[in-house]
Amino acid sequence: MSVDDSLETSAEHVHTATPPLLVQTAALSTRAIRGFFRQPQLWIPGIVFPLLLAAVNSSSLSRASLIPGFPPDTSYLQFLVVSVIVQGVMFGAIASGNELTTDIQNGFFERLLSAPVSRPAILFGRIAGGWVFAAFQALLFVGILWPFGGTVRGGIPGVAVLVVMAVFLATAIGGLAAGLGARTGEPEAVQGFFPLVFIFLFMSSAFFPTALMSGWYGTIAENNPLTWMIDGARYQVIVGFDLTEAAKALGISGVLALLGLWFATTQVRRRWRVAA
Amino acid sequence: MTRAAVQPIEAEALVRCFDEIRAVDGIDIVVDKGEIFGFLGPNGAGKSTAVRVLTTLLKPTSGTARVAGYDVESQADKVREVIGVALQDAAIDPLMTGKELLRLQATLHGIPRRLAARRAKDLLERVGLTEAAPRLVGQYSGGMRRRLDLALALMNEPDVLFLDEPTTGLDPMSRRNLWEEVRRLNREYGTTVFLTTQYLEEADQLANRIAIIDHGKIVREGDPAALKKSVGSPTLRVDVADEQQAIAEQTLQAFGEERPSRVGRVSIGLEGGAERMADVVRALDEAGIVIEHMELDSPSLDDVFADATGRRLEGAADAEEPAE
Ligand SMILES: Nc1ncnc2c1ncn2[C@@H]1O[C@H](COP(=O)(O)OP(=O)(O)O)[C@@H](O)[C@H]1O
Ligand SMILES: [Mg+2]
Repeated sequence: MSVDDSLETSAEHVHTATPPLLVQTAALSTRAIRGFFRQPQLWIPGIVFPLLLAAVNSSSLSRASLIPGFPPDTSYLQFLVVSVIVQGVMFGAIASGNELTTDIQNGFFERLLSAPVSRPAILFGRIAGGWVFAAFQALLFVGILWPFGGTVRGGIPGVAVLVVMAVFLATAIGGLAAGLGARTGEPEAVQGFFPLVFIFLFMSSAFFPTALMSGWYGTIAENNPLTWMIDGARYQVIVGFDLTEAAKALGISGVLALLGLWFATTQVRRRWRVAA
Repeated sequence: MTRAAVQPIEAEALVRCFDEIRAVDGIDIVVDKGEIFGFLGPNGAGKSTAVRVLTTLLKPTSGTARVAGYDVESQADKVREVIGVALQDAAIDPLMTGKELLRLQATLHGIPRRLAARRAKDLLERVGLTEAAPRLVGQYSGGMRRRLDLALALMNEPDVLFLDEPTTGLDPMSRRNLWEEVRRLNREYGTTVFLTTQYLEEADQLANRIAIIDHGKIVREGDPAALKKSVGSPTLRVDVADEQQAIAEQTLQAFGEERPSRVGRVSIGLEGGAERMADVVRALDEAGIVIEHMELDSPSLDDVFADATGRRLEGAADAEEPAE
């Protein structure tokens, strides 16, 4: 080590300034993405399960599109494009948000806290890591389903709506997972909570049009914000690009994203206040 | 305020409670520039809590602490810029490579890319991880993790380096390597080191000054040699059959004060030292005591600990800590 960076001269040692939030967030999200992709058990379910479900459903239920109440002139696979994306993003975002819990558990979170890292960057780094996977999932699913009849009639703007919705949804779910993780500090606890989220999804128009549902089930589904979001996004696939419908899809996923961020922020703050 | 004039670490009446537990119970510390300060104490003594307060991870319940002249509460950001921290369990993300972690650490500290690359190369060489650097940390051994942890803590060339039980769970070889590295760091770069340990030998070997902590309080403080001297006479240990212990104790009382020991062993501070050994043997023989084993030891830090707390530290660490 040369003299100029030796600590012997450190009485007036100039310490480098803390870099801006954006630089730290970028560095931490790069790390988050790397770590995520190095664990196939985290990302494979978010790709395989939704596709499997689509394959099974579209072969056994393709006649559903003949039932009255099903959107006319639509293949069931087209109907499923949004379902597959939403389901996949949920799997992925739970896993990636929950990585914050792993950081807390293995002590890496504290390493970050003892460095001059701006506090929001620790959380945003995690959540922004989830965005990349969500966008990747949305594009991958569209690309895979398209040749089999899952055409997105809205074209490029329609696909863009799906991608942005996926990113918003990843923020919402990732925030929820990270927040729960900050609260409990146990990855298993976060995993255990998530069947509830999937129940929410099943009580929506994700797999059947609400028009085909009856009784209390239909009532719940019709009033489930996920239904409005899914219907808005689905419109881009089965009809074509439409601003009002896009606003519905992005508005609702956007609000959910803000809620997720708010929840995660309060819980992470609480953790380092309890700690600090 | 000129930075050169401030003490690396100053704590006054520092207290940190967890509900009812007073984990750190009113400690005063002043660590001088260039010192290796050893915080010696058994499990649960409050070492980690003290480190976490000093490294801004925990707020003090009361009292104040300054690191490099900055208040750990109101100037926490400043403190974080000038410290290096290796916490007890070598908290390293197993999914990153050593190189990636060093680069991340550098970015978080705002170290320019080229300088960071140079430092990383240098640090990896120093801790002997150049070859392992491109591998995932998950595949590292315990000793390698600690060394990487040390390298990470040094990335920002800290004014004060905190090491919380850096060698707990390491094999003797790795332990010695790490000691050597800490010594070199201190010698060559003048880095002030605050080190906690439950190993007597580690404190003895590494630290210029020691504070013995027990139940959140500092019970002794000073340089190791002076501390040992303060206990006075060397310790005489005599192992006898259990049924002869009482009479052995009685006989040995004449030669010095009894010191804490285990069943089947009588320990005293032998007044007058080795010269009196012949008298001791004669007295034991006359009392009809069969000596199973006998040893005379100059005072150790364990004697200092025993003198201060009435308990022994020796062996306690190994009994409680599972080997890695
Ligand atoms: N986060 C915490 N919550 C409650 N009690 C704690 C916490 N951290 C430490 N303690 C308690 O404080 C005491 C000191 O612990 P610690 O500082 O970890 O000791 P050491 O590092 O010397 O082994 C112990 O009794 C421990 O149980
Ligand atoms: Mg400890």
